Formats: sequence, structure tokens, C-alpha cells
Amino acid sequence: MVDFPNEIRINPATINKLIVGGVVVLLVGIGVMSSFYKVDPREHAIVLRLGKYTGAPVTDTGLHFKLPFGIDRVTNVEVTTVHKLEFGFVTQTPGVRTSYASRSRSQSEASLIVTGDLNIADVEWSTQYVVSDAYNYLFKVRNAIETFGAMNEAVMREVIGDRTINEVLTSGRSEIQQEVKEKLQELAKQYELGINLDKVILQDVNPPESVKASWNDVNEAQQEYSATINTAQAKYNEVVPKADGEAERTVEEAEGYAVQRVNEAQGDADLFKQVFSAYQKAPEVTRTRIYLETLNEVLATGPRKIIMDTEAKGLLPLLNLNKEGKQ
Amino acid sequence: MNKQLTSVFAGILLFIAAITFFSSVYIVDETKQVFVTQFGKIVRGPINGPDKDEAGLYFRLPFIQEVHPFEKRYLEWDGDPNQVTTKDKLFIFIDTYARWRIVDAKLFFEKVRNEAGAQQRLDDILDGESRIVVAANDLVEVIRSRQREAVVDETEVLDDESQLKPFQRGRSALAQEVLDNAGPNLKEEFGIELLDFRFKRINYSQEVRLKIFERMITERARIAMKFRSEGLGEAAKIQGAQQRELKRIASEAYLKQQQIKGKADAKAVDIYAEAFNQSPESREFYEFLKTMETYKNTLSTNVTLILSTDSDFLKYIKQSTPEKE
Repeated sequence: MVDFPNEIRINPATINKLIVGGVVVLLVGIGVMSSFYKVDPREHAIVLRLGKYTGAPVTDTGLHFKLPFGIDRVTNVEVTTVHKLEFGFVTQTPGVRTSYASRSRSQSEASLIVTGDLNIADVEWSTQYVVSDAYNYLFKVRNAIETFGAMNEAVMREVIGDRTINEVLTSGRSEIQQEVKEKLQELAKQYELGINLDKVILQDVNPPESVKASWNDVNEAQQEYSATINTAQAKYNEVVPKADGEAERTVEEAEGYAVQRVNEAQGDADLFKQVFSAYQKAPEVTRTRIYLETLNEVLATGPRKIIMDTEAKGLLPLLNLNKEGKQ
Repeated sequence: MNKQLTSVFAGILLFIAAITFFSSVYIVDETKQVFVTQFGKIVRGPINGPDKDEAGLYFRLPFIQEVHPFEKRYLEWDGDPNQVTTKDKLFIFIDTYARWRIVDAKLFFEKVRNEAGAQQRLDDILDGESRIVVAANDLVEVIRSRQREAVVDETEVLDDESQLKPFQRGRSALAQEVLDNAGPNLKEEFGIELLDFRFKRINYSQEVRLKIFERMITERARIAMKFRSEGLGEAAKIQGAQQRELKRIASEAYLKQQQIKGKADAKAVDIYAEAFNQSPESREFYEFLKTMETYKNTLSTNVTLILSTDSDFLKYIKQSTPEKE
């Protein structure tokens, strides 16, 4: 038995034993290997024993025992993970700067939606959901996700079909998200999909590509509208307060004139009164004095003087008026 | 040798026994419903039919009984985009989906054999029915669902062109009609229960779409125009108000100015009158003074004054004592 190289003697009984032993080891091995399964923290496990559901999902995490040789079949379902369906666009590489794949024809078909005023809006949205009931998810509906996708499209169109394009593009966004979410949740419950809705998010909502330019033009016009009004208002604000100020100045000046006028009058009057009361003491002489003083002043500096005798006649020949004028 | 033969024989026997065993049991899965035929005749079933909970291990006669499994779960049907003309003569594509399940596996097996056959029947029937229903209604009936008023944003008041189109029945009523028309028939004839039918996509055909785009563009242009002219109008209003305001301010200022001045002038007149008008002497003296002042101011260098020798001023120029008149 020691000299292997020289002599190989095999006992048939040993062979039989070896075969039986091998088969037993193999069976035990397979049995042991297929007797365990693990459940992730994110998962629930559904166990079918001879095709029949055991009644409750396995929710404890860790390693579990099951009957081997396909008697128990285990399906793990992710229940806490938030899944995402995208409509009208495809995320290519998610991340801080997410990039999106260019759209295929079927995606753009999915996102073109007729609005309640029979216009067309280009609506991209995504829906986030979790599997809430692993049993329903697996056993009530086949291809739950495909069904869910169709529901999404139907419900989004239903909701947008009741809104004008303006509402869809501007004010109605959050309301649309809310309504779609509620309706989808309701429908998912009715269909027993085992899916719970997390969020419906409207992504890009635009007018269709070929209409965009005219839509932007309206926005521009809207800006111009405000700008024109603002400019006019600015001019108004520039001019009117200034005029107000000027008006006030005019009034103030008039006020000044009034004070001056009255004061001067008063001054003149007072002066006259005093002079007059002095004059009354010696009217004749004062009068003559003033007269002569005045003439003295006037005739000393002022005009040319021609003195005519009372009897003198024919003044004109004496005057060369033209010459005088030129002097 | 004999012993070896025995063990080989035993092995074969075991093998046959195993095959017989395995072909006499079958598992009905949670997701399946089955019935069993013997020479083509149904002898058992359906097991685990709809609304029953009968999954598990079952026995049959090996080799001669055959097991036919069918899906127990809700199944989907997704229609192809289907061109339809609506009652208001618009070409549209409708894309629909439905949910169904097999409620009578026997009938289902006899009539359509398998799911592929069922899908084909569903295509024929549902496409046909939805075509009929859509063609009998205006487009808006497949678009609208719920009666509501459009909410117009305050900032959008100028942009109030788009109005929700009124409708009578709505999309779910139309879907229900398709369901009602097709449902009983499918159940009786094919053992198929239709649970839900919905319009998934409704889109204009390419030509109609281009026309819609064109309409949207002209509508937008109109709105843009409206914004622009409305802006100019508003600006003009402001300019008008500005002019009015300027005129008002200036004229009010003038009015006040004149009133103030007038009052002051009147007061001055009063003051002068009060001073000068004390007595005939004061009146006369004022006249005299004022005349003197006027001489000073008016008799400037460019005047030639012709004085008569009998004037008061020159009365001494001919003689030193005034003449007595």
C-alpha cells in the first residue's frame, strides 16, 4: 500500500465507498450551503416554502436558516432604498454636477403633454418611491415598476390636462406635484403595487422647443413693459418734486416781496410824516428851500438849458435839433 | 460480479423511482394558478385561482397528467400609440394601458392558449373600443378630467389669453366607457378580468402639432405686443399725469404769488394813503415833494430844458424884486 509509483491496486469495495462517500459529502455540502440566507438592513426577505408564502416577511437582519434543496426559496426585496423613475430625461452620471443624457424620441414623447387649453408643454419629472410591502410588490402585480411608470404618465397627463399652459409653466408647479403625488399614491394603493410614494418632482417644465423663442419674447416684452413704466415714473419723480420746489420758491419770493413792499411803504410813510410835521412848522420857507435845492441839483448837473425871455418869439430857428440830437 | 450487477440494478431502480416521484409532485407557486389535464381533459383545478390561497405542494399521476400554470398576478397591457380622429376632426395619437388578470384559467386556456394570445386579443378589443369612444368625443374630453377654474397669477393678468377649455364628460368617464364596453365581453369570452383602463398619452399628430406650435407662437406674439403697447400706454399716462402736475404746481404757485403780492401792494397803498392823506396840506406837500423827486430823476443830461424868464425859478434873473401882479 505504500509503493504507489510501482503498483496501483484498487479495491472495488473502496471505490464504492468512495463514490457513496463523495455523493453524501456533496449532498451535505449543497444542503448546508443552501440552508442559509442573509438579510441586509435595507431588505426584507420573503420566504416561499414549496411555493407557498410563509406568511410574514423576514425583517431581522443577519444570517437566517432555511430548508435546503429549493424547498424554501428566498427573495430579498429592498424596502428602505428610495428608487427613482425619470420621465422625459435620463440621469447619466449622478453627482454634484449631474449630467443628463440627450433625449431619445420616446422620452420627448413622454414629456410632451397637452394642457387644458390645448397647448403643449414639455414636462420632465421624476418620481421617488420605496417598496413598502414586499409581498404585494412581488405577488400581487407582475412588473410592478412598469405598471407604476404607466400610471405616472397617465396621472401626470390627467393633472396637467386640467391646467392652462401658464399654470403649468409658472404658478402651478408645486400644486401639480402635490396633486400628482396624491393621485399616484391613491392609485398605487388601489392597484396593490406595494409601493409607497415619496416625492413627485417636476424638473424642467418648458414650452416646446420650437415655441420657446416666442415665449422668451413675451418675457422680454414683460420686462420692457416694466422698464417703460419705470422710465416714465423716474422722469416723473425727477421733474415733479423739482417743480414743487420751484413753486415754493416763487411763493417765498412773493412773501419776500410783500414784506419788502409793506416795510418800504411804512418807511416812506414814516419819513413823510416826520418831514411833513417839520414842514408844518415853517411851510413857506421849507418849501422854497426844497424847491431851490432840487433845481440846484437838477440844473447843475443835468440838462442843457435855454433860457428864453417872455417876450422872445420864434424859438425854432435857434435850435438845430438834428445837430443837438447828434451831440 | 453478481454483487456489482445487483448494485447497478439497484441504482437504476432508484433513479426510476426518483423520476417517478418528482414527476408526481408539483409545486404551485404563490404567483401561479394551475389546472391539470389528463389526455387533454381537465381533471383538476383551477388550483390557487384568483382570490384563493392554495399555493403549495401537490400530487398528480406521473407521466399521464399534465400541469398548466397561468399567471395569478395582475398583468399589464400596454397599447401601441394609435392614431384616431376626434369628433372635432383633430388627428391625435392615443396611448393607453390596462390592467387585467386571468379569472377563468380554463376558458382562458381554451380561447387564447397563453398570454401572448391574450395580449393580441386585448390589443384588438381595447384599441378598437378606445378608438370608437375617442372618435365620438371632442379632443378636450380626453384631456380634461376635473371641473376647475384656472388660477391667474396677479403678475400674469395681462397674460390671460389661455383659458381652460370647457368639457362635459372628461377623460376618466371616457376610460370608464371603454372599460364598460370591453370588460364584460372579455370576461365572458376569454376569462379575462379587466381591472382598469386608462389613457396614458394623448398627443397631437405631427401635422397638428406644428399647427398648434404655430398657434402658440402667434398667441405669444400677440401677448408680447400687448405687453409692449400696454407699457407705452402706462408710460403715456404717467407722462400725462406729470404734465398735469407740473401745470397745477406752477399755476398754484402763481396764484399764491399774486395773492401775496396783491395783499402787500394793497397794504402799501393803505399805508401811503394814511400818511399822505392826513389833510389837504399834507396831500399838497406830498405832491410837491414827489414832483421835486421826479425832476431829479427825469431831467437828465440828454434833455434840453427851455426855461421862460417868468418862471418861478428865474423870476430874479430880470429884476431882484418880484413883480407884483
